[in-house]
Amino acid sequence: MSELLDRESLKAEAAKRVGNAQAVRRFDVPVVVDEQKCIKGCRICIDSCPVDCLAVNPATGKSHMAFDECWYCLACEIDCPKDAITVKIPFLLR
Amino acid sequence: MQESILEADIVVVGGGSAGSTAAIRAQQGLPKGRVILLEKAHIKRSGAIAIGMDGLNNAIIPGHATPEQYVKEITMANDGIVNQRAIWQYAVNSYSMIEELDRWGVKFQKTETGDFDVKKVHHRGSYVLPMPEGYDLKKILTRVLKRSGVNIVNRVMATRLLLDGERVVGVLGFDTRDGNFVVIRAKAVILCCGASGRLGLPASGYLYGTYENPANAGDGYSLAYQAGAELTGIECFQINPLIKDYNGPACAYVTGPLGGHTVNARGHRFIESDYWSGHMMLEFYRELHSERGPVFLKLDHLAPETITEIERVLHRTERPSRGRFHQGRGNQYADDWVEMHISEIGLCSGHSGSGVWVNERAETSVPGLYSAGDMACVPHNYLLGALTYGKLAAESALEFVRDAPPSEGEREQIDAERQRVFAPLSRPAGIPHHQYEYKLRRLVNDYLQPPKSENRLRAGLAHFTRASEELEQLGAESPHELMRVMETHMIRDCAEMAARASLFRRESRWGLYHYRQDMPEMDNENWFCHVNLRRGANGEMELFKRAVAPYVVPLDESELRGYHGLRIGRPAAAEALGA
Repeated sequence: MSELLDRESLKAEAAKRVGNAQAVRRFDVPVVVDEQKCIKGCRICIDSCPVDCLAVNPATGKSHMAFDECWYCLACEIDCPKDAITVKIPFLLR
Repeated sequence: MQESILEADIVVVGGGSAGSTAAIRAQQGLPKGRVILLEKAHIKRSGAIAIGMDGLNNAIIPGHATPEQYVKEITMANDGIVNQRAIWQYAVNSYSMIEELDRWGVKFQKTETGDFDVKKVHHRGSYVLPMPEGYDLKKILTRVLKRSGVNIVNRVMATRLLLDGERVVGVLGFDTRDGNFVVIRAKAVILCCGASGRLGLPASGYLYGTYENPANAGDGYSLAYQAGAELTGIECFQINPLIKDYNGPACAYVTGPLGGHTVNARGHRFIESDYWSGHMMLEFYRELHSERGPVFLKLDHLAPETITEIERVLHRTERPSRGRFHQGRGNQYADDWVEMHISEIGLCSGHSGSGVWVNERAETSVPGLYSAGDMACVPHNYLLGALTYGKLAAESALEFVRDAPPSEGEREQIDAERQRVFAPLSRPAGIPHHQYEYKLRRLVNDYLQPPKSENRLRAGLAHFTRASEELEQLGAESPHELMRVMETHMIRDCAEMAARASLFRRESRWGLYHYRQDMPEMDNENWFCHVNLRRGANGEMELFKRAVAPYVVPLDESELRGYHGLRIGRPAAAEALGA
């Protein structure tokens, strides 16, 4: 028994000092960009976003929601000159 | 990382409503001078009114209301703890701001005879001026700003104010896109950074599902505090009645004048006035947690054309996505009541009375530092207060810079700040900002959300102290993540301020905003005063009382309690909290 406790207390100390490990998980995000309509090089929606959660997708050159930080304010959707954006209510609130 | 150095006569931090008029007015006063407007987002869609606003909540229009009436009403709504001179200054200067907005092209609702169409929402007077086409407001402000000649710097986050002894002489921060460190030297700084709207965690659990624009993370509160400025009324939280889950305003200000109202689950009205005050929120809280809860906005008794009018306003301005929220759930105003709730707490003077201590000239307690808008304490100042006080702040700053010598600031401070800000980039595998923020804000809910008590507040404070050490573990991989990390520093500062100020005021006041279960009575003998706080010389937070300045508009004892007992049909004291 005391051996177990010793081990636990050693591991508890180790847990305080050990480095960080990471895992990645998917998020469903509210801003959906129609890549057929979105124009390369146009950054209007990226400028509009008050929380800066949109960015150019390096894979396509089109805009996408890069960070799960949307306020569903619709600025990007309203300002898009090509009607390429649809904002959904974030799933947690929907 | 590069360092960019800018110089200005006046720098305005925050390009929302207050910051826009501050920068415009400052540039008007310095036609050849250098005015910089620093914005963390982009001025075309920043601040609390990114998508416009559906009305002015506190318009004092000749023929409808007088400054005396307004000052009295706001004093009442705040249980007397106000600097009346600051409210008076708003009351007498705001009508000319409306006229200026009118000239800029903002469309206000007018009657057939061309008069402003003022509505009654407050308990006593009529101050609500609808702007059914208010979605243009932010665009109009941006247009006027661009014409003014102000140097607009977007996507730069201010992290500390630059000091020279006790005087503020600039702003330090970084570009959230390219990561460059930014030093702006200026003779005067005007902080217009909005509310501390990311303090509590929304009931939905979604970090950015806040009532306030989540970019308003309390940056200004932290910047002012760290520069030694006094803050006041921090214990007078912002708590709003909101659409459940969606967290936008249910909008009694729009629907009330058209016949909508708040009801309990039986369909009965229970509050006299839908105007947002701490006493109204206390009755709302009681109803919500009683067997008569939840609480709803009721519109189904209105004529179809009235409902269409309401939708036309609510689904186009302020929070236009509410339309698709209701539609997504298959609800419509004609058939379904809109469920409401209480969600996260925040700090905000625009809605409540928590902010940076300013006088009627928008001067803070620190030389060279001015503040306006939601973060500057002029209670219930709202949008028109932000626009009006932005101008007043600029006028005071213009006077100050006339004789103020330029200053380089302290090089040591600049170097130390550069190190502090970029430290998380050296820990890319550190704790991610969103996990830290979730925990911090969940603890804010657990321990600070009213009703408050000494035991819970003390436990919360211990968590926020530990959270200060945990900041050292946060990591960032990009300038964007660094922005979110630096925001968590500011949110933590606000949480500590909120806990300490709530502990310091040993009574209950402002209804739900500062409801202490362990001290449920208002105690005017000991606590008819402001509670202010500042960073003390030893770096610890100091709290102290400040006397309420003599009133400009006197109120007698019964008028001071004018906002008590907002419950319909029964005195407020007859029912225990939560019963």
